[in-house]
Amino acid sequence: MSATIRIRGGKVYDPIHGVDGEVRDIGVRGGRIVALDPREPVTQEIDASGGVVMAGGIDMHSHIGGGKMNLARLLLPEDHRRGLEPAALPDNPLELPSCGTCIPGTLATGYRYAEMGYTAAFEPAMVAGNARHAHLEMGDVPIIDHGAYVMLGNDEMFLRLLHEGAPPELLRDYVGHVVHATKAMGVKVVNPGGISAFKFNQRKLDVDEAHTHWQVTPRQIVGALARAIHEIGLAHPLHIHASNLGVPGNIESTLQTIAALDGLRGHLTHVQFHAYGREGPKKFSSAALQLAEAVNANPNVSIDVGQILFGQTVTASGDTMRQHANAELGSPRKWIGADIECDAGCGVVPFRYREQSYVNALQWAIGLEIFLLVDDPWRIVLTTDHPNGAPFTSYPHLIRLLMDKGFRDEQLAKLHPEVAAQSALKDIRRELTMYEIAILTRSAPARLLGLADRGQLGVGAAADVTVYRDAADPEAMFTTPAWVLKDGVPVVKDGRVIATPAGGTHFATPGFDPGIERVLDARTDAYMLPHRRYQVIGHDELCSCCNGGRLLPAACFPKAL
Amino acid sequence: MSFAKLRPMTLSNPTATPDWTCPFCSLLCENFHPAPGGAAPIDGSDCPRALAALAAHTRPGPGPGALIDGQPASIDAALDEAARRLAGWRQPLFGGLGTDITGARALYRLAARTQAICDHADGATLMQGVRAVQDRGQYIATIAEVRVRAELIVCVGTPAVARYPEFFRRIGLGEAGSPCRELVFVGVAPPEGLPAGVAVRTLAGSGDLAEDVRQLAARVDRQRLPAPDGGLAALAQRLLDSPYAVLVWEAAPLGPEAALVIEALNRIVGTLNRKTRAATFGLGGSDGAFSVNQTFTWLSGLPLRTRVSAAGLQHEPRCFDTARLLADGSVDGLLWISSFSVDRLPPPAAVPRIVLGPPGMRAALQGAGEGVFLPVATPGLNAGGHLFRTDGPVVLQVVPLRDDGLPGVADVLARLGERLGATP
Repeated sequence: MSATIRIRGGKVYDPIHGVDGEVRDIGVRGGRIVALDPREPVTQEIDASGGVVMAGGIDMHSHIGGGKMNLARLLLPEDHRRGLEPAALPDNPLELPSCGTCIPGTLATGYRYAEMGYTAAFEPAMVAGNARHAHLEMGDVPIIDHGAYVMLGNDEMFLRLLHEGAPPELLRDYVGHVVHATKAMGVKVVNPGGISAFKFNQRKLDVDEAHTHWQVTPRQIVGALARAIHEIGLAHPLHIHASNLGVPGNIESTLQTIAALDGLRGHLTHVQFHAYGREGPKKFSSAALQLAEAVNANPNVSIDVGQILFGQTVTASGDTMRQHANAELGSPRKWIGADIECDAGCGVVPFRYREQSYVNALQWAIGLEIFLLVDDPWRIVLTTDHPNGAPFTSYPHLIRLLMDKGFRDEQLAKLHPEVAAQSALKDIRRELTMYEIAILTRSAPARLLGLADRGQLGVGAAADVTVYRDAADPEAMFTTPAWVLKDGVPVVKDGRVIATPAGGTHFATPGFDPGIERVLDARTDAYMLPHRRYQVIGHDELCSCCNGGRLLPAACFPKAL
Repeated sequence: MSFAKLRPMTLSNPTATPDWTCPFCSLLCENFHPAPGGAAPIDGSDCPRALAALAAHTRPGPGPGALIDGQPASIDAALDEAARRLAGWRQPLFGGLGTDITGARALYRLAARTQAICDHADGATLMQGVRAVQDRGQYIATIAEVRVRAELIVCVGTPAVARYPEFFRRIGLGEAGSPCRELVFVGVAPPEGLPAGVAVRTLAGSGDLAEDVRQLAARVDRQRLPAPDGGLAALAQRLLDSPYAVLVWEAAPLGPEAALVIEALNRIVGTLNRKTRAATFGLGGSDGAFSVNQTFTWLSGLPLRTRVSAAGLQHEPRCFDTARLLADGSVDGLLWISSFSVDRLPPPAAVPRIVLGPPGMRAALQGAGEGVFLPVATPGLNAGGHLFRTDGPVVLQVVPLRDDGLPGVADVLARLGERLGATP
């Protein structure tokens, strides 16, 4: 008989059920939340009195696995030592040695996420040709569940199909086939068409500008992909890294990208990097208000922020076009780029965000403004686009910035004086509540990913539970949970890992016409046929990639347009 | 040295699961396969590297058993003895490392437990590429990108096909549809048997390849240099004019200055990418080198030539070199793994050895005196597995041709670990 655990007397925040800090007991048995009679004897009682109980955190956009992360590790041995000294060994005998701050080894990634109360993270930029690598790496992230979004919309096949005017059913079947072959949870488009265009030496691609070779526009690509995903019925809408990342004035592209969805659902990711105006003497300004107004006005749109925080990190993106342009700003001054398998690309540029830099200070303020100006917390997710804006380990600090106006003002005062004096942030009084933080870090990502039994504490849900000690300082509170349960198993106690089970793998199971493979062959140039496209990753293979972790297939619900 | 003759592709359905992926070099070719059970000849290629490897694995030998100090032993007895000896070594070296990703996962656990230094049999050449990346980064293209885009291919200091016989075929050289108009060899003679229809040019160079490549980098960057230049200025202009140029390198023939050459090539590509498009393409990482290096990097954060020591995770790309460590007497035991190659024997050294290799290796070790030998399966021959391809981002599944009932490297290492006591 499996253990029964009662988490007693904590203030429960479970927004999916509208529970806002009510003192309740939570019962756990067989990996699930159960209703327990108060008199029922239990194997273990966890005293949560005075503390806060939430579902495990879910990071829906964090670069935790796949080629570009390992390239980043190879590029930056300096992230994996302490100056001239070697990186320290763990003081916990349960942990295998694994080091790094902005790009930790996969083992350290799992330990640090769990220690922070997170129980799932999703790799947002899996290159189809690199899918096995991504799953292998994520399989070596212990404790937490994982999944990945496969990148489409820069692959030569999709662009060719669009160029040739292929019917929507064919595009739908193609997208379904790639999701199936790569065992993806969702689909991401990165700089729509731009990664491919860079291979043809195009340096910029606006939303209505044509790809120099395939003669299709980002607007067409976004529209076609959003429709294909709608028709396949993936739970997660098209995950969109919009055009012109980091370019002053890119708010225009971002708003055009929202319009390109034509009312279909879309998730705009790391929008902080896409909410720039070109006002003011430095021709670089916040467009957070315009972005927030667009999100508030378009219920089909959800976002995650990609907040930047100050210090050394590394940016890793599929967006070779923009990473090449930004490489000159990198620190230390070295970078990696790749053109990959007619699928996509990757660019890895180390970056140091500085408080005294006007641009970096404004980026920091823009991210916070977006968090505080979007009305509906169910359509905004807390991310730093790990590691692009900052490592995920800075989430507790970010949460404090959102919950504590006084602390936020103190930090703002330390920044570049023009930003400190002029930013709209100083006039925003909103402080997010504990309930809203629970939405941004648990319930909203679960709902946006279609994880029906995660991100909540209802009876029958998976028992991914975090117990925090209530503290005046939310940063301290969210840094060191008292307990973390993963599928009902205590994995962290007092901020220290006490068990290291393998995490599960979430993936979608779309239906599509299996004849699509023959159709694709027929549309491939004879010269490229010997270059085999995607070997389908089967369930047994996925299981071995993921170290025997549970397979968590997600159903799809096809819909007509 | 001749590059494999072009033969028609045998694929009837290119998107189906492949019959076989050849594990014997890091090109991981998927478009030919051997006779049933892994015998020669192979259908679809005359790759000498694949043929030699398959032949070596089918050589008649004394049988699949384990050895303790040259004497036949049961697997369990050999595991007990290997664990006893490994536990007694104060500074083990894990060398060879010819295994796949599953093997590397198990290897890291055992290395962390025993505080071993880990270096691949090709560690010296592997680290040349790693150091060049650590210093300046790189811009690379994968096989499909080279095949579909490279208008100009420049092989620097390598004929490519000496160790990678299928390379030019994999990138479609000479085939209808290939965009490649010119193939240039710098500092090396072109191989025989190149397909007609592609212009081939050779720059003999000055005899100092590192210097020639530095000069080329300067000329691509439009710096004025004194003549004569042996054709480097013309090559620089050709690179600048090409819509997509690919510079091919291989660390093995470049010797101890390889990192300098690779770094200069990365610099050339960086300069070219300001106005046109270019990438490098590295040949290397066979015998599991890239697979183990990548796996260690994601697990620990650091690449090979790393030790888990009391002081922490120490990465020493120069010092943790097998030959140097053995010559210095810095290690007192060698765990050698070579699951792909029958012929990659551990280096002769005075330190005690534990060897994991294919059964075909047993004959060579039987007369070698002290040491424990444990037979293991070969991924892609009599075991499944996953391997990294030479170009970096692509991992492929390899499937067995036959079942010889042999344990994989990961299995043997896990059983060794169990005998050493509980591991995390």
